[in-house]
Amino acid sequence: MFRRALAAIAGTMLLLAPACGGGGDEDAAGDGGTTTVTVGVIPIVDVAPIYLGDQQGFFEERGIDLQMETAQGGAALLPGVTSGQFQFGFSNVTSLLIAQNQGLGIQVVANGNNSTGQEGADFGAVVVPEDSPIQDAADLEGATVAVNTLENIGTTTVNASVREAGGDPSQVEYTELELPDMPAALSAGRVDAAWVVEPFLTITAQENARPVAWNFVDTAPDLMIAAYFTSDEYAEQNPDVVEAFAAAVEESLQYARENEDEIREVVPTYTEIDENLIQELTLPVWPSEINRDAVETLNELAVEDGLIEEPVDLDQLLP
Amino acid sequence: MTTVARERRTPSWARGLFGFVVFLVMLEIVPLSGLVPSRYLPPLHEIGEALGAAVSEAEFWIAVGDTLGGWGLGLSIALGAGIVLGLLIGSSGLLLRFTASTIEFLRPIPSVALIPLAVLMFGTEIESKLMLIVYAAFWQVLIQVLYGVRDVDPVARDTARSFRFGAWSRIRHVVWPTALPYVMTGFRLAATVALVLAITAELVIGNPGLGKQIATARSSGAVETMYALVLVTGVIGVLVNVGVRLVERRVLAWHPSVRREVPA
Repeated sequence: MFRRALAAIAGTMLLLAPACGGGGDEDAAGDGGTTTVTVGVIPIVDVAPIYLGDQQGFFEERGIDLQMETAQGGAALLPGVTSGQFQFGFSNVTSLLIAQNQGLGIQVVANGNNSTGQEGADFGAVVVPEDSPIQDAADLEGATVAVNTLENIGTTTVNASVREAGGDPSQVEYTELELPDMPAALSAGRVDAAWVVEPFLTITAQENARPVAWNFVDTAPDLMIAAYFTSDEYAEQNPDVVEAFAAAVEESLQYARENEDEIREVVPTYTEIDENLIQELTLPVWPSEINRDAVETLNELAVEDGLIEEPVDLDQLLP
Repeated sequence: MTTVARERRTPSWARGLFGFVVFLVMLEIVPLSGLVPSRYLPPLHEIGEALGAAVSEAEFWIAVGDTLGGWGLGLSIALGAGIVLGLLIGSSGLLLRFTASTIEFLRPIPSVALIPLAVLMFGTEIESKLMLIVYAAFWQVLIQVLYGVRDVDPVARDTARSFRFGAWSRIRHVVWPTALPYVMTGFRLAATVALVLAITAELVIGNPGLGKQIATARSSGAVETMYALVLVTGVIGVLVNVGVRLVERRVLAWHPSVRREVPA
């Protein structure tokens, strides 16, 4: 019996050895001049173009073997990129501004996605139950509003909506709830309003929730929401890879703009969104170029709302 | 007497099954009754449909494999390290005194509190999941082994010493048989804890596995699929428990606690 246990322990140690040795194979150039890069993304509609672009071979033809890693929320993505586990990541602009302000040493390499810029037809909005007395963004004063992350792009853009409608954003009571929990919380009356993005905007609409503020639209025209980024260190050491990756993303974004039906086909390959629901979603728009004015606006809002103390130097953050 | 007779008529697995059936019936009735909105807690038959769709995809089985793989590997590491260190520390009074306060300090730290550290060190690679599993499961084993070593009959120990048993033979013939039932208890506790931590890590960190599938279904608003996967984790938990008990019974077949027919 003891001998068998010893054998088990020895076996364990053997298994442990390769497990401990991992983590060092980041950017080993593979055969045939291709470079394997890992991109950390969140499994949401916003990143559909990169999946589609990979299918279309836009990365392969530039010598990039693209590996997608999905993480839950940006929290695991930023340290993943700065520690070198991922070479690139996808994150919203406000998170990137905060990270840059904290000195994490990151830089944007390509556009992620943008608001449609159309009131009534965007992919994110503040919604209230059908019978709520709240009629517009100014009425959010004194209301409990659910956001997925406090002190981030949700609160700062909803604040912009409230300000534009003549309200005082400091009177809004934000509460943190995960997006999937918002429809139920809203219909049970646990919150007065919720800032939701797709697919939950459509899900709440099916429950007769009513949009009262289109916060992305109110913040800036064609607001840039998210971007693909890398660490300063990686960009310095691999300028060619970064350039090739950025070009491939830009081509993917263009392809996504021109082939909306293919976007709706690729989404189920990495999410569990119901096939019927996908057809009804409002998609973001995917310009290839970075909207510097929008980033500047988010930068100013982040300072105004106290997310960062002073504005981030955009020349360092943006390409 | 009568209870014994009744127990014999309905075997324990049948009673367990009855409880499970009641649970499933409740799961069907409660959402349909409108007690909770069926949009957010779908009735059983809808969960069943989603489960049927899920199990027909390779993705699901890969996820099950990832979860069980991480669980097995983490559990083995915790078991190996717990037994070796437990025997080592337990057989030396000096080591025991030196490590006691450290163990008492580290043991209550919940493994999930180490998630930020695990993500920072290993990202979403399997190591971060293993770190959480091993940390949680290791203490369960170590503490049991320490108790087991302490439980050695002093007469047996002294006898072994007077027969000039070497350290190795002492561990093998005296300490190990005494500690084995404790080791098995540690193994049983660790096996369940390891599964909980495997799924937690996948849910929160996003390591590949069932937990990640649950999180993806959740962030996609696919409520039925999410609950289907949650039920699957429950089934795996039951299977793990049954399996561990079988192993325990076999390993300890000689032990009085298992060998029931011998009256004390």
